[in-house]
Amino acid sequence: MTNSFAVAFAVARKDLTAEWRTRELVPALAQFVVLALVIANFGFQIDARNAPSIAPGVLWLALVFAGLVAFGRAFAAEREQASLEAMLMTPASPVAIFAGKAIAAGLLLVGCEAILLPALSLFFGTPMSAPIVAAVLLATIGMAALGCLFAAMVARIRSRELLLPLLTLPLWIPFIVAGGHAVQVAMGAGGSYDQALALLVDFDILFVVLTSLAARFVLDE
Amino acid sequence: MNKYEKAAAAAVGLMLLAAGAIFFYAPTDWLQGPAQRIFYLHVSSAIAAYGCFAVVLLGSVIYLRNASLAADRFARSGALVGVIFTTVTLVMGMLWAKKVWGTYWAWDARLTSTLVLWIVYAGYLLVRRLAEPGRQAARFAAVVGIFGFIDVPVVHFSVQWWKTQHPGSVIVRDALPPEMLATFLFTMACTVVLAAVMIAIRYRIETLADGQVAVIEERSAVVTPREAEPTR
Repeated sequence: MTNSFAVAFAVARKDLTAEWRTRELVPALAQFVVLALVIANFGFQIDARNAPSIAPGVLWLALVFAGLVAFGRAFAAEREQASLEAMLMTPASPVAIFAGKAIAAGLLLVGCEAILLPALSLFFGTPMSAPIVAAVLLATIGMAALGCLFAAMVARIRSRELLLPLLTLPLWIPFIVAGGHAVQVAMGAGGSYDQALALLVDFDILFVVLTSLAARFVLDE
Repeated sequence: MNKYEKAAAAAVGLMLLAAGAIFFYAPTDWLQGPAQRIFYLHVSSAIAAYGCFAVVLLGSVIYLRNASLAADRFARSGALVGVIFTTVTLVMGMLWAKKVWGTYWAWDARLTSTLVLWIVYAGYLLVRRLAEPGRQAARFAAVVGIFGFIDVPVVHFSVQWWKTQHPGSVIVRDALPPEMLATFLFTMACTVVLAAVMIAIRYRIETLADGQVAVIEERSAVVTPREAEPTR
């Protein structure tokens, strides 16, 4: 058991070190989300009155598409160098390897959120409070698990860029519904924040368990 | 006529009988008018679609457990037929909604989850087409099939906070007059038979296609070593 945790930790550290040395993904994603905010600004007529009702939608749209890019990249380097096969040949359990990849990709998305949330607050004048950060971070856990599972799958399929959003987005909808609701409430809309957050935790547990059960079938292929 | 053609003809005959019951036997609803007649086929095809996706789930789980080719073929057939019935459900529901609600679409729990259902299994069919045929396609699709089946109730549940506009279950609440109930039950039975026949025919097509793939692989396996032989 300790061994599995050590493997997951080692894989995650490897991915994060690679990202730290190249510094490719997070700067690109940061630029991407800022651009998304600029486009949203011109797509909507944003002023101080309607910003709290538009900002949650813009936040989740930018986050979802940044997530697709981040998780799509998670297996790109492994595929190019066929290093995933090498990792799978070791006695380490595939689930631990998968968990490591998901943790690293999730943390990279958190890095991107660290740009997105302040930028949103800056451009849209909405508050950046702890409840908003908590909802986004909780949603990131489940999104990373699901996103990495399908990224691992499409990495071996033709037209992977086409397929990843089609498979991942429907499964992310529960997180967007609950997370979206939580952020709306935190930005001043009516409703129950606690219920939304509790639901996010439930979804996290459900999908983390499911993806770890399914990871074996996807990675072993 | 082989047995598949006979079954198909019987299913079409049953559907025509159901159409007769819907238009000539069932009374016109006093509030919704003739638009209410959409209900019979709309709900029946939704039930048939759920049945098909249950077949996908079952086939996928069995395939992941013991790599049974037959289970995978059932899953494949179920997904295709299920997507067709979901399309029918969505289109008929939208027509009804335009007439009764005044709009084609509302983001209500049942509509949203049905749309997600459609997208998930359309994705399932795409995975089948794009993944390498054989073990890879079957495994990946099985994972998608299982996740999709779990995702739909979760989406339904999470959207349900907001007010739901979709009519509740009139059948369970005993709100239908006997003629309407009889028409509905008959239509539902016919639709389920139609779905079963479609799955059976599709299963036959998949079996033949798998057989052809196997024959092609067998031939290429026979040809390649001979070509690889060194010429003396």
